[in-house]
Amino acid sequence: MEFKARDYRAEEEIHSLTRVSVSSHPLCSSSSSSSSHTQDHVSVEFFDPLRGLSTEIMEPVEDVVVAEKHPASQPTSHLSTKEWTSFNKLLMQRFPVPKMISVSALSSKTIKGKKVIGELPAKTQLDELNDSEKSTEKGFKIVSQQDYIKRLHELKDEIMRSWRSDDRATSLKLSIKVAMLLMDTCVAQFYPTLFVLATDIMDMLGDMVWVRIREKAEFADDGTKICTLSDDFEANSVCLEAKETCNNWFRKIASIHELLPRIYLELAIFPCWRFLRNDVIDNLMRMVMMIRGIADPLASAYCRFFLIHCAQKLPQRDAGHLVTCISDQKILLRQIVSMKETKYGNFLGDHKLLISLMEPTIEYTMRCIFKDPNQVADMIVRLELGKSPSELHGKVPWISIILHYLLKELPTEVVCSNALEILHLVDCSSDFSFDQYLNYKMVGLKLCEGIDQLNTVDAVIDEVIQAATKRKILDEYLKILDAYMDIILHYNMDRSLSSILSEIFERLCNEVVTEDELASLQSIVVKLVTHFDDMKYVFDLNYFVDILDVMHGSSRSIVCMHILTNATRNDRIDDLTIVKLLFDVAQSLHDNVDFSNTRQDDNQQAERLVARFVDKVDHGMELDRHLTFLVECRGAFSSMNDLKEILVHSSNLLAIRALREKKNNLNFIKSCITFNEVTIPCIPSYARQLILYLETAEVSLFGGLISHSDGLLDSALCCLQNVYLVDGLRKSNEDADGIVSLTRKLCSFMLLVPGNLEQGAMYIPKSILSLLDSQSWITPKLRIRILCSLLSLSATFAQNEFPYHAIHEEVIGNDRLFLGDATYSQELRSLSRVILDNMVDIIPQEPSQVTRGKLALEACNCITSFYKVNDEISSICSKLMETAISCLGGGDKYLQSTINFVHKHQLGENDY
Amino acid sequence: MSVEIKLSRSNRTYRPNEPLQGKIITRLPCSISHRGIHVTVNGSVNLQVRGGSAGFIESIYGVLKPIRIVKKTIQVHPSGKISAGTTEMPFSVVLNDGGKEGKFYETFHGENISIQYLLHVDVVRGYLHKSLSATVEFIVESELVVLPEKPISPEMVFFYITQDTQRHSLLPQLKSGGFKISGRICTQCLVSDPLVGELTVEASAVPVYSIDIHLLRVESIMVGENIATETSIVQTTQIADGDVCHSLPLPIYVMLPRLLTCPTMFAGPFSVEFKVTIVVTFQTELYNMQTKSDPRAFRKWVAMESLPLELVHSK
Repeated sequence: MEFKARDYRAEEEIHSLTRVSVSSHPLCSSSSSSSSHTQDHVSVEFFDPLRGLSTEIMEPVEDVVVAEKHPASQPTSHLSTKEWTSFNKLLMQRFPVPKMISVSALSSKTIKGKKVIGELPAKTQLDELNDSEKSTEKGFKIVSQQDYIKRLHELKDEIMRSWRSDDRATSLKLSIKVAMLLMDTCVAQFYPTLFVLATDIMDMLGDMVWVRIREKAEFADDGTKICTLSDDFEANSVCLEAKETCNNWFRKIASIHELLPRIYLELAIFPCWRFLRNDVIDNLMRMVMMIRGIADPLASAYCRFFLIHCAQKLPQRDAGHLVTCISDQKILLRQIVSMKETKYGNFLGDHKLLISLMEPTIEYTMRCIFKDPNQVADMIVRLELGKSPSELHGKVPWISIILHYLLKELPTEVVCSNALEILHLVDCSSDFSFDQYLNYKMVGLKLCEGIDQLNTVDAVIDEVIQAATKRKILDEYLKILDAYMDIILHYNMDRSLSSILSEIFERLCNEVVTEDELASLQSIVVKLVTHFDDMKYVFDLNYFVDILDVMHGSSRSIVCMHILTNATRNDRIDDLTIVKLLFDVAQSLHDNVDFSNTRQDDNQQAERLVARFVDKVDHGMELDRHLTFLVECRGAFSSMNDLKEILVHSSNLLAIRALREKKNNLNFIKSCITFNEVTIPCIPSYARQLILYLETAEVSLFGGLISHSDGLLDSALCCLQNVYLVDGLRKSNEDADGIVSLTRKLCSFMLLVPGNLEQGAMYIPKSILSLLDSQSWITPKLRIRILCSLLSLSATFAQNEFPYHAIHEEVIGNDRLFLGDATYSQELRSLSRVILDNMVDIIPQEPSQVTRGKLALEACNCITSFYKVNDEISSICSKLMETAISCLGGGDKYLQSTINFVHKHQLGENDY
Repeated sequence: MSVEIKLSRSNRTYRPNEPLQGKIITRLPCSISHRGIHVTVNGSVNLQVRGGSAGFIESIYGVLKPIRIVKKTIQVHPSGKISAGTTEMPFSVVLNDGGKEGKFYETFHGENISIQYLLHVDVVRGYLHKSLSATVEFIVESELVVLPEKPISPEMVFFYITQDTQRHSLLPQLKSGGFKISGRICTQCLVSDPLVGELTVEASAVPVYSIDIHLLRVESIMVGENIATETSIVQTTQIADGDVCHSLPLPIYVMLPRLLTCPTMFAGPFSVEFKVTIVVTFQTELYNMQTKSDPRAFRKWVAMESLPLELVHSK
């Protein structure tokens, strides 16, 4: 059996395509029409799952919900209904509700009350009054939250059911009971949820009454249509009978003794006033005033909240009620904040809880006040905030929580044009209802929104720094300044910046820094870092590095990551001091990252950033220094495995650069290779080691360091042997395929490597061959592939001249080294014999029939291409063919083309 | 087999000089013959005196003889037949056709005095059959002619409630700490309009528990030589719940309940008047000790101010 002799040069000439020079790069993106067409096409086809949902599915669902709630009834603006619904959802989530709620005895009666409709005893008011008196004696009861909510849903159903069965009196009675529940504020955190559920019932009742009266107005008793009321109908177009019914509803509700339920029910049917009169604003104002009679701050706040909601159903857009609501709220809050230990409602001493429960109502009111951008000027005057939007009063104290939401809703232009006055306002509005520093922060954020409209920057920042400096608590100091950082940076206020940094450092030195403070500090430092393009400038700032040193934990890591991100944005980092500082930053990042942590994302990001930094560092022609740097990196970032690969690549690159630069630097290249020899074994994955060993072996061969390359190849072989043992879990085909292709790469590399005389020229192919037998994970399919490449390698070794050679002149290929050496040829022949036998033996071991057939064809193709045709080869080939036919059937295309190929070779050799 | 009266107005309210119109509706499974269909209008003042307020003798009497306002019967149909199914028969009665009827007082449902107008239909069917009948109450409001022009000038009265204005004894802490509640309220008010006013807690050492507006009726009946007067609560309306902010005016807004109120009237044998009382209850431990109590009783933790209230009608 003999390999075919090949003339590679001739083959290349025959097979290579004729080359034509072109003017432009085929992959270069150009604004050609074809590419824009593709983009269009993509945008049509592209399906964004989120957006798709929101436009096609989410919206209709929302509509259905709303439509159910308002069955073609009141002309409320759709938007405000939605806003109300979503606000309510938030409200329910905002306060964690304990499982058990303590409720007043009166409420507990309703909750545990009889569930049979109609059995509700019609008591006189006197009796009820006495009843409530009696039950207060018994004190509070405990009810589970689930029961409470369940009962409310039951009540809602009962109200609906009795309404449908024309028992409207019961509906009203039950609704009053529901409204009564809102008198009970000792449920504390549950109150917002209770409010949402109860007002849902109120709204339902209101809608039902509205629809009923409207029907009375539009249809006669016998169902004939009298008229159609437009959305903005006038009261005089409503017939007397409808008015009578409407009046009766208001009378019924007016006869409720207790103030709070009376207000809630009148508000529920408030839009019905429109059937009676055109101007209902007076009535609305009366309702606002009536709410003043509710002394419990929580109950009254939510009652106002409901009033604002109900007022939105009116076509008139008057804001008088909003302004009065806020001013009443202000008076009430002023009383709360001025008292220390007074019992307020059910919130003995716990003012903070009380205010946090009231907070959403204030937020909503303010939002409504500044909803209409055209009304802003008017509102500023009516809230007594100033004479006009450009002229605010600065010295009138507000309740800080109200001020907070006022600032939040105030248009940015107004805040920016009155920045100083507003700062004064914040300065003089200090009470426990809301932390003052958060108001400073809010102003800062607002000013940042309109950063370019600011005209009194210096005065504003001076004011802020003064106010902040007064803060004893570091966190507050930092939080205020954090909000103004963007302004300071935007206007390049270096003096302020340096004074702030020195103040921060001084304070940091004097106290133990808490987590919160670290977070605030982090925010400030990150702003600094991201603002400047040049890290050098940041590092040069006074105290910056000192402050960085004080930071620790995750905040420090985050800051470090930002610094690295920012620094690696530039093409190269060549300033030695910067490299040193960044190296320290990277090292502290490395030291802070807990690599045993399961949060892989963070670690990976940190690792990527450090890798990018190492990659960007450039020492120019000072290759030695760079290698030293790599050594330092290896020492400093020992936990980052991916980085080690980068280091190996860098060092290889360094070696190549050194090779290209000048001739007499063998020692440097050797140190690079040695660096790699030391570094690679630290990488845990054998597969990755294998890649790196091969790469380094190539580089060392490139530099003519044969002994190094031999050593590296040995290590690579070791890796190959261990790869499956240690990397254990790699079962996927992809990984196995990867290793097979690495093995093939090794084979092709073998052509360059001069055969080792001590171990024998065929040492490595032999090792691979024996490896195949020892490794159980290599499936017959993979084995055939490797065997094919080994056969191909043997066939090439048999040639008189190899297709390629090593560049380095001292490295001589086997073709020249063993030219005419009989032992070499003998060894080669016996090796190829073993390979061939192996092939034939292995194919039947493949379990899958189809694969087996294909493997047979593959082997057959391979053998036919490399061997000269003789009887033995022919018989092997025909055997393989038979296997293929039996497995695939005669009609298979691959089989057909293989038959043709084999046939062609048998007819005339060398006919390619 | 039923008969029913349906009045022309859904609110069943008529003035004496207006015809009372409506339909008699019969629903019959088979046709019947009858001896005439009559409607009767019956209006009367019913009086009763309860024991305790007037004295021993009257309590035996109990119900006094009612005072008739009107009683008239008209024949809607002479004897004949009504066919099976639903039959509607319109009718019209003039309430006040001059002279001999008494004064048409407005409908009023009080505690001791009740002024009521009933419309009665009778389908007489001879001895063997029970006659078919139905009754419906209708409401009478004063004739427009006698009413004053609208708007009547609202008579606002200012009031002050302090520890010194109280005629009953107060708790020591109330007496010493002092309080001042001021405001104004209508004392002449249209029956159809709400009773309005304003109230401000100006000062109070003891926290306020509740402020209520009591609407009271004062019913007086002549019994022989004596006048039996009883005051009872028509409606209470809370306007402040808890210790409200001081110096913040609260609105007084009380809708007058229909039928339970009427224009103030002074007839010979009886009179109906109204009063409004502002009741301020202060927070006290004692409050819970009281089990069942008359809200009008002068309790030591309650301050109040009573004002007469004249209810009127206008055009």
